Amino acid sequence: MENGVRRWLVNVSQWNPSEAQFASVISLFPVDEQTAITRYIKFEDKKRALVSRLLQYSLVHEVLGIPFDKIIIHRTAEGKPYLKNSIDFPFSNFNFNVSHHGDYVGIASEPLCFVGLDIVSITTPKQETELEFINNFSPYLTALEWKNIAHAGSSEDMLVEFYRYWCLKEAFVKAIGAGLGYGLHRLEFHHTNWTGISVYIDGAESKKWRFSLSKLDEKHWVSIARGLPNKADELCCSNLLLPELRFSFRTAEELISNVS
Amino acid sequence: MASVAGTAFSVSARPPPRSLQVFNGLSVVKSVSFANQRKSIPSLRSHPATSRFRVSCAAKPETLEKVCKIVKKQLALPESATVAGHSKFADLGADSLDTVEVVMGLEEAFGITVEEDSAQSIVTVQDAADLIEDLVCAKSS
Repeated sequence: MENGVRRWLVNVSQWNPSEAQFASVISLFPVDEQTAITRYIKFEDKKRALVSRLLQYSLVHEVLGIPFDKIIIHRTAEGKPYLKNSIDFPFSNFNFNVSHHGDYVGIASEPLCFVGLDIVSITTPKQETELEFINNFSPYLTALEWKNIAHAGSSEDMLVEFYRYWCLKEAFVKAIGAGLGYGLHRLEFHHTNWTGISVYIDGAESKKWRFSLSKLDEKHWVSIARGLPNKADELCCSNLLLPELRFSFRTAEELISNVS
Repeated sequence: MASVAGTAFSVSARPPPRSLQVFNGLSVVKSVSFANQRKSIPSLRSHPATSRFRVSCAAKPETLEKVCKIVKKQLALPESATVAGHSKFADLGADSLDTVEVVMGLEEAFGITVEEDSAQSIVTVQDAADLIEDLVCAKSS
């Protein structure tokens, strides 16, 4: 029975369409989506944006059964995509989130809890040292987080540690749809070896959020944030406690054949 | 559309920024207080947040050119890519990490501090250059 939960990833480095193929895939989407994709200057950004739409439309179609040409996805003022079509119970709080960075584009959906997803691609800074790079982000981390980063080991270990914290913070902010203006320093992540992750917001532990962080490969990590809406009923609360679903890998070609 | 859970988080006083230093081979978290305090990441939006954004000096051509160069370098854009005043940051593929770095890079290059309120109104490279010109003018007056 359909439960509305999905975790999909596409490795875009494995998709190398010709210009003609790329153009024909873009044309499958509504005009405003086409404009949004082609506006990017770098081809890699265009590719990630297109795969993001392929994931969004495929997911909505598969979970909710809405025909492709009837799917309407809009964006909030902060840029978060959401389904405009009205949905019936039991999926009235159905929501999804997408992320892309480096080689991966991902999507996560939930029927009841809010979900946020973030993928980070760890790259060694080119114009500065790891420490200098991390220093740029000092206003957005708490004292405890800094301490943990400082004690992580080598410069490379510190960089990875920083990215893990960043990834979690982004997933949370994206789950609540707050956009980049949210004060990231207000969030403090506690964990035991990056499991049992919880968040303290303005110093107080929140019982309404669950997180997971996993490694995709040597350079990529993915985080999921799930949280309860304000008027959460028992069903929603028990939903939050369910173990995190593992990601499954899809290919661009597969998604394209779904949509065409 | 799913309604957003309790986003009535009030902005609280932020802790002073910390500087990660390596001292005698040990990594030490050192508390530093300086003027460059932020409450939030300056967001380079795809459309302006408000119309409060006003500049009194429009950017000189050399300022715009310098901004374009810094942005192109920070975002690792290919040589063939055109970055001009009308280029929108969102279209250049700047994500949240890039955004922080670009603003920091511009602050360092011009010796100014960008307030997050003003930063949130920046949509194009021209907006950034005009804002910088404004801050540079204000600094020297």
